[in-house]
Amino acid sequence: MKTLYFEEVEEGDELPPIDLLLTKDFVRKYAKTAGMDFPRFTDDEGARQEGLPGMIAPGVLSMGLLARLIGEWNQAAQITRIGTTFRSPVLPDCAIHLLGFVTQKDTERHTAECDIWMENDDGERWVIGTATVLLPTRNS
Amino acid sequence: MALEFDRSILGQVFDETDFPPVEKTDLLQFADALGETNPLYTDEDAAMHGPYGGLVAAPTYVTRLRPKKMTPEHMPRFGKVGFDGGRDVEIFAPVRPGDRLKMVSTIHDIYEKTGRSGSMYFIVLRNEITNQDGQKVAIVDHRIMQR
Repeated sequence: MKTLYFEEVEEGDELPPIDLLLTKDFVRKYAKTAGMDFPRFTDDEGARQEGLPGMIAPGVLSMGLLARLIGEWNQAAQITRIGTTFRSPVLPDCAIHLLGFVTQKDTERHTAECDIWMENDDGERWVIGTATVLLPTRNS
Repeated sequence: MALEFDRSILGQVFDETDFPPVEKTDLLQFADALGETNPLYTDEDAAMHGPYGGLVAAPTYVTRLRPKKMTPEHMPRFGKVGFDGGRDVEIFAPVRPGDRLKMVSTIHDIYEKTGRSGSMYFIVLRNEITNQDGQKVAIVDHRIMQR
């Protein structure tokens, strides 16, 4: 398991980015698995009838991907808080980039704060957020 | 000017939902749908040797739990259209296969923000999730934006 201990994590550390093509099938699969298979998340025509430009990804899918970003950086990091703001609709069949970095460490609690976000190829941040993670220590 | 609404609706429970026991396959499918690679969420054998001593749910699994009533009957309306503004999740304990989760839903907060495009109103629905031992599992705040 990929483990980074509290002592090894520095403020300013970048989380290794995840670049992926967010396909419509990926979004549909998530929507079905999460019990959210509503037209806006599964079908362009159905989404247009709701006034959207086409089917969109559920906000909680973006949030789940940002949690995955943290887990891939450090599988032993335990997320104790994650907050995300959905700034604009995420339209699938586009390249997305998940990014983040460590903003602060708390030496008493052995936690780290991270800024996390999802952006498109033009660097527009569609989803932004922060997370608190509890890290293992060398002594424990 | 302060936003006007009946403040007594804050904190009132509008839904209580008991979920069927969490199934292992449900946790694995959820992790798969996110493309998760962390063995704590995807690999039962590897997770046995991890910090939880067994498979647990991916962190945002708690956001897929839906109350019977998504919104209160007397949901305040301040604008013409509503958007999903975001989520804030606090996680206290992992979700494991076999857990019987319970969720209690309230309107936690209502506030107004004024931006360049005018006023926006936020309604925060709070879902508090506990398990069969009465242990607090998570608090999920759902920010609904109206304008």
